[in-house]
Amino acid sequence: MDTFHSIGTSTDWVVMLFYFIGVMLFGSYFGRYTKSTTDFFFGGRRFSWWLITMSIVATGVGSHSFVKYSAKGFEHGISSSMTYMNDWFFVPFFMFGWLPIIVYSKVQSIPEYFEKRFSPSARFLATVLLMFYMIGYIGIGFLTLGKAVIPLLPQAFTFFGAQVDVTLMRAIIVIAVITGIYITFGGQTAVIFTDLLQGFILLFAGLMLFFLGISYLGGFENFWSYLPTEWRLPLADFNKPPDFNFVGIFWQDAVAGSIGFLFMNQGLIMRFMACKSVDEGRKAAAVNILFVLPISAVVVGNAGWIGKAISVVSPDIVSPNTSPDQIFVVVANIVSSPGVFGFIMAALTAALMSTVDTLINATAAIFVNDIYRPIKRLLHTVIPGKKARDKRELVIARYASIGVTILGVIAVLAFKNFPTVYEAHGYFHSTLTPPLVVAIFLGVFWKRFTPAAVITTFLGGVALMILGARYPAVLIAPFDHGIAMNPVHPYSYIRALYNLVVCSGVAALVVWTTPWQQSIVGWIRQQESKKQIVVIIAVVVSILFLMVIFNTGGLALLFLLTIVIIILVPIFVTYTTDYDEEKQTKGLTAATIDFAREGFKGGTPNDKQGEKVLVHWKLVDGDDSVIRFSKDDMRRMKAEVGDLVYLCDKRKWLGGLKSIHSQFGEPHDEPGIVYLTAEQEEVGLFSKKRILEAEKEM
Amino acid sequence: MSLFTHSWLPYIYLYGVGGLFFFLGIIIIRRAGALKPHLKRHRRWMWILYFGLGWYMAIHAGLIFLAFK
Repeated sequence: MDTFHSIGTSTDWVVMLFYFIGVMLFGSYFGRYTKSTTDFFFGGRRFSWWLITMSIVATGVGSHSFVKYSAKGFEHGISSSMTYMNDWFFVPFFMFGWLPIIVYSKVQSIPEYFEKRFSPSARFLATVLLMFYMIGYIGIGFLTLGKAVIPLLPQAFTFFGAQVDVTLMRAIIVIAVITGIYITFGGQTAVIFTDLLQGFILLFAGLMLFFLGISYLGGFENFWSYLPTEWRLPLADFNKPPDFNFVGIFWQDAVAGSIGFLFMNQGLIMRFMACKSVDEGRKAAAVNILFVLPISAVVVGNAGWIGKAISVVSPDIVSPNTSPDQIFVVVANIVSSPGVFGFIMAALTAALMSTVDTLINATAAIFVNDIYRPIKRLLHTVIPGKKARDKRELVIARYASIGVTILGVIAVLAFKNFPTVYEAHGYFHSTLTPPLVVAIFLGVFWKRFTPAAVITTFLGGVALMILGARYPAVLIAPFDHGIAMNPVHPYSYIRALYNLVVCSGVAALVVWTTPWQQSIVGWIRQQESKKQIVVIIAVVVSILFLMVIFNTGGLALLFLLTIVIIILVPIFVTYTTDYDEEKQTKGLTAATIDFAREGFKGGTPNDKQGEKVLVHWKLVDGDDSVIRFSKDDMRRMKAEVGDLVYLCDKRKWLGGLKSIHSQFGEPHDEPGIVYLTAEQEEVGLFSKKRILEAEKEM
Repeated sequence: MSLFTHSWLPYIYLYGVGGLFFFLGIIIIRRAGALKPHLKRHRRWMWILYFGLGWYMAIHAGLIFLAFK
């Protein structure tokens, strides 16, 4: 396979340098708006849909990356776009299930949802799994970044007389340092605004590359005619080859990946939480998936398609043996001029950094919310005073960002031996998402889903997944839809189906046998040695789980041990967990969203449709928890005292950056004027003499 | 050479199995009362959801026809 080094000119490097400095200055400017952990992680829940849509572009495009889709575009054609165009199936669940629940229940992280909905131990296991998922995702991001920049770099540098070879891991470490510095001092507001800028630039750079490529080939008709028919089709062959087939990618990406991306990608969820309302979040999701993703599919894959067309007519210019993960850089260099190539490469690497930034920020949020805070509560060392606590947590968040960055670099080692980034990512999604995906999904949409069921899904489901990974020819083969097994990387994609089936199966089995578990637990409670019985169960489960992990025995024995785990775990959890189904599902399942809205407001929502009003503002002393409008303005908004209000700078292009959420206070008699306190002015970032727009939320 | 397994078979599987998940979602959120078709804004969202499915079906079908043209 042909690999490349030192592609590009010094002009390209200058352009890239200026681009990076520009983006970092842009992010730093908005980083000054980060005043608390809420700003650092959620951007203050204030932004408009269009800003979040474009900000998601950089995250989505970056994570799905120019490198891996160009590689598949080169190897298989337009079907590289499949994974960008199969996300709509689970959108109803997201828009009307998960999104309102996470916003109205005010959870700050996915594990926190698990504690509210199930139990603290469910939260602990969810945190462990989610940290694996997020850090693995960061590792994939770093791997992609490394593969993107390697072709630009020489094979070695001479540094103070010593020769330093440029290796993938060394390149990744340098990138990680730059990324870590940026996110540590910026926070979510900086990331959102940097991503907004990069979202536009990415789409522009990717489409520009497509037009340059088409022009290089002499027009669209030439390009289309050079591509073999198989390369023109939008979907891959049903079940071959093993490294790129439709049915495996459907289960890995359209099902596990889509649910994973929409439901458990803390980075994406934090973007939606940064929206000013649930409806704005729905708009952001709809516009992004319906219109931006198809464009993004062209943006990220076209270098591979152009590369294939060139390799058909001029194999001396683009060799058919070019390393697929380098095709993007190779094609960009051929079809663009010096400087333009630098700009395209800067846009690509900056976008990848955006993805990694978002993930690092999100993982730090999980660390603070689900590890640091619970430990402080457990040790009774919570810092008194909200401001002092917030300041300390902001420092912890920044340290956590650094730690997560280091773990992300280490995670690269697990993926770097896959032939392409695409396969590494596919394997990663198939393996790590199913237990959490099943747990979140059933938690939201199945009221009867119990703590015993969710914890058994995590432990029993994972045990069965481990068996599947060890014995794919026996356990995954029945699900393979005719895909041949590659012994080196067996069933990279279709294993997602097996994993989803075993996790869902365990979950359903435990829910349906709940009465049996309760009668066994009832019997145990009547025994004098009840505590000893439960301790024995815990010890036995731990030993069996370790035996499965360390593969002590053949398939039959390990399968039997897993069945015993699946029987014992629900009994242990039912005995040790206080669970009130009515109380703990209220506002946390799709069927109880109205309760969640009520809880969010702290009273009955007011859904009367009112107008938006424009107001001037003036500073007054008074209660910081309410905003006071005139009687006339409140009548136009159809608002009552205690309703929720959103007040923002009238200038739409700010996208809600200068805004505040509050409650309506007692009205006054000055029409067109809103009374704000000094603290509200500071939180809302309002500018003097600027007109504000107010609307009633509920 | 027949390219059925490379074109319409995956298309049918995608919108058959995927469609099943989609409509299951619609049924579940309606029965749960999360989507309330009697509210105007929810009704608009319901149509957007249906439009989205049709939109992608049309894009994929169009691309398959274009590939064979």
